[in-house]
Amino acid sequence: MADGQPGSSAPEVLPGAAETAHLRVDNVTKRFGAAKAVDNVSFAIPRGAFATLLGPSGCGKTTTLRMIAGFYDPDEGDIVLSGKRINQLPAHRRGTAMVFQDYALFPHMTVKDNVGYGLRVAGVAGKERERRVAETLEFVGLGGLGHRWPNQLSGGQQQRVAVGRALVVRPQILLLDEPLSNLDAKLRESLRWEMRELQQQLRMTFIYVTHDQDEALSLSDWIAVMNQGRVEQAGTPWEIYYRPRTEFLADFVGAVNLVPAIARDVRGATAVLAFGGARVPVGLPPGVSVREDQEVRLSVRPESLWLASAGATAQGMISLAGTVARRAFLGDIMRYWINVDGREWIVDQADPGAGVAFEGSVSLMLRPERAHVIVPAPAPAELPSP
Amino acid sequence: MTSLRREPSLLLALLVVTGLVLLFIVYPQVRVVATPGGSGYADFFSGGSWVRPLQNSLSVTALSTTTAVLLGFVYAYAMVYTDMRGKPFFRLVGILPLLSPPFVVAAAYILLFGPRGIITYHVFGQSPNILGLFGIWGVQTIAFFPFSYQLIADVLSRSDARLEQAARNLGAGPWQVFRSVTLPLTRPGLGAAILTTAIYVLEDFGNPALIGGLYTVLPTQAYGLISGFGDLSGAAAVSTILLGLALVIYVAKLRLDGGRQYVTVSGKASSIPRPPVPRWVSWAAFIACSLCALVILLVYGTLVVSALTLAFPTNLGFTTQHFEYVGAHSLSLRNTLVYGLVAATLSGIFAVFAAFLVERGHWRGRRVLDFLLIMPAAVPGLFFGLGYATAFNEQWLDWVDRGALITISMIFWNIPVGYQAAVAGLRQIDRSIDEAATSLGASGLRTFRDVLVPMLGGSVRVGFTTTFVRAVTTLSVVIFLFTTQSTTATITIFQLVGDFNWGGATAFTVADVGMAIIALVVIAVLGRGRVSLGAARG
Repeated sequence: MADGQPGSSAPEVLPGAAETAHLRVDNVTKRFGAAKAVDNVSFAIPRGAFATLLGPSGCGKTTTLRMIAGFYDPDEGDIVLSGKRINQLPAHRRGTAMVFQDYALFPHMTVKDNVGYGLRVAGVAGKERERRVAETLEFVGLGGLGHRWPNQLSGGQQQRVAVGRALVVRPQILLLDEPLSNLDAKLRESLRWEMRELQQQLRMTFIYVTHDQDEALSLSDWIAVMNQGRVEQAGTPWEIYYRPRTEFLADFVGAVNLVPAIARDVRGATAVLAFGGARVPVGLPPGVSVREDQEVRLSVRPESLWLASAGATAQGMISLAGTVARRAFLGDIMRYWINVDGREWIVDQADPGAGVAFEGSVSLMLRPERAHVIVPAPAPAELPSP
Repeated sequence: MTSLRREPSLLLALLVVTGLVLLFIVYPQVRVVATPGGSGYADFFSGGSWVRPLQNSLSVTALSTTTAVLLGFVYAYAMVYTDMRGKPFFRLVGILPLLSPPFVVAAAYILLFGPRGIITYHVFGQSPNILGLFGIWGVQTIAFFPFSYQLIADVLSRSDARLEQAARNLGAGPWQVFRSVTLPLTRPGLGAAILTTAIYVLEDFGNPALIGGLYTVLPTQAYGLISGFGDLSGAAAVSTILLGLALVIYVAKLRLDGGRQYVTVSGKASSIPRPPVPRWVSWAAFIACSLCALVILLVYGTLVVSALTLAFPTNLGFTTQHFEYVGAHSLSLRNTLVYGLVAATLSGIFAVFAAFLVERGHWRGRRVLDFLLIMPAAVPGLFFGLGYATAFNEQWLDWVDRGALITISMIFWNIPVGYQAAVAGLRQIDRSIDEAATSLGASGLRTFRDVLVPMLGGSVRVGFTTTFVRAVTTLSVVIFLFTTQSTTATITIFQLVGDFNWGGATAFTVADVGMAIIALVVIAVLGRGRVSLGAARG
């Protein structure tokens, strides 16, 4: 996806690359009773990619992962691994090792025995097994802890054992189900980098499930955001963050201003979004079209806005008059809620220590190229009948 | 566990387990119920001989359950809530009756209060007729209040001490806390404990058999019809009534507690302290418990003294001749030990494996298998034994060793405790543990062996010890099954009491209980100090 956007340095990992896909999920549906946990989901993940399924709890991401692992059978659709349909393959023959949220370490086995378990099941002989276990422990930074019991380890160490235990069997694909969510914030962040590092070294296909957008954005080559059993949007982290296609997505990944606007002067891939007295020219993302006078949303991230003293203007920027409703000091940023024509905008000011805090009347500065259009999904009743 | 379709070995295992359950739990019971046939039942019910025993069973169950539960509750409250002295001693005394056949209480009662009893005759010079309702009532109260105590103490100790602390903190007094917090929260558990006690009393065969006299209850009626008249059809019909009653009580109990039916006798104090009770309550509790303990010790003391004296209570000269007699007739003790250990081992293993298939499986009909595995807990031992006697008393089965049949009956009669312990244990093991093993390449059976069994050690122990204790103490299951070669200690004791050979009977009792204690201590040592008992019964 070379759309020339800065920050989009990810490899080619698009659903279109289905022929070279390591794992393909084709029109998969899973029902629990009457509820559809996963609803006609399709995607393809290339070999060696760090792919993430992101979404709120109950969105179907874990169910999808568990179908890939073989713990659930899809009701419809196919799961294809390395070009082979694996729907009928029992879970223990799939070669898809999994790292669990609660680590699921065997409490009656030492660290060494935990890590060596997969090899024992595979019938790897003692000497070879010991060598590989030691190697893996070293690799995940647990050299020397092999004789400990799981309950003698910290959360971070347990997590490493879980990863080591899964890696040692050299799985085709490593599945990770919220592996960091039980750790405290600091540790989570440092392990995040380790995880990415690990994946880059091994060039192994990782499929990672999380509800944490920061994790997803920072780790992944490719993200599928799921909501209510469907894939809402899939793409690079950059696309997901700056070019969300739906209001849900824009809102779920980070804070966002979603301003109702009317599309005017629609010309090919550009349009002008009008709201209040302002007119913001925007480019339309590929595959998105709007009609003249259609109601749309202007989407802009809080950090893409600036504040200036009242009445200020700047070249290439749109200036909106507003007043500061309230503000919150968050450490790395100052977050403002600015009232513009009876509507609150969120504005993040970086490095708040460097300047003065705004109060009273201000100018809200918007750079049109940082804004983006979202076409609301038509309400079901308005759908044209087939 | 992945679906059975993908793992033929699991499917095969399931078929084997189901087959065994059908053959050894369902089939014998169906045979008993079907024995009288349509006209048999018609004759039986129009004959009306069942009315008296039914009425008797109902009244004695109501009376004995009430008093046993009251005593048990006092004992349990004292143990759990007060800080009285001597708790370890009272705990030990409370366990003792669980390890012995309940009907030894009747034996001791006769020795103490019978026509030639040491208290009635030798102290007061009276020869009262102790047979009948009041005898049964008193004896069952003493025999079953320790069971009731174990069940109730288990329920009370699981009530949340933090809630009670909170209520006290809000200004409620001890009695108010108990009435407004503890009781409402533990009501289902207490209800279940009462109903469980009622089943024990209802199906008690040994005590009414020894001191019921003409006061016939359903179990003794069934036994009498067979041993006296060879009336299998009538006995089957009576037993079916008994089964019906027990099932009704059991279903009510299941609705209350969802099927928990083992208690943990660990002697480990709760980590959160309960709010203190007034001093006088502790003292009252101490006195009440002392009285209860005194009665229990009197029972067992009488048995021990009788076993060591020439002719209790007329000649109190010391002798070891009764134990020499036991030594010379030790076959039944040896049988009891062998049947008990084999049944306990196999029952524990089978229960855990069946629990794995039911709890971790995704297949139709698992609820049915679940019910069949729990059901024997409601089946009176007499009925269960009669079932085996009816179902497997075929000529072409003559090659089957009777001892093996007795062992099998003990395995399956005692399945529920180990099974439910294993189900509870499995529910505490997160499925991600199984899935971790699966995703590393382990099949369902491999996961069971490598991961679940080692983690279910506690449940296996519960099944093992309970089955063992019940095998050592049961009379009713074996009474229709034993032969001279496959007799058990309880049968021998029962026969010796019938022959008025008190020395021999009491010596056998002491040996039997002693054996059970030694075995349990060994098991406890091997199991690192944790002994878990399902409440046993006769």
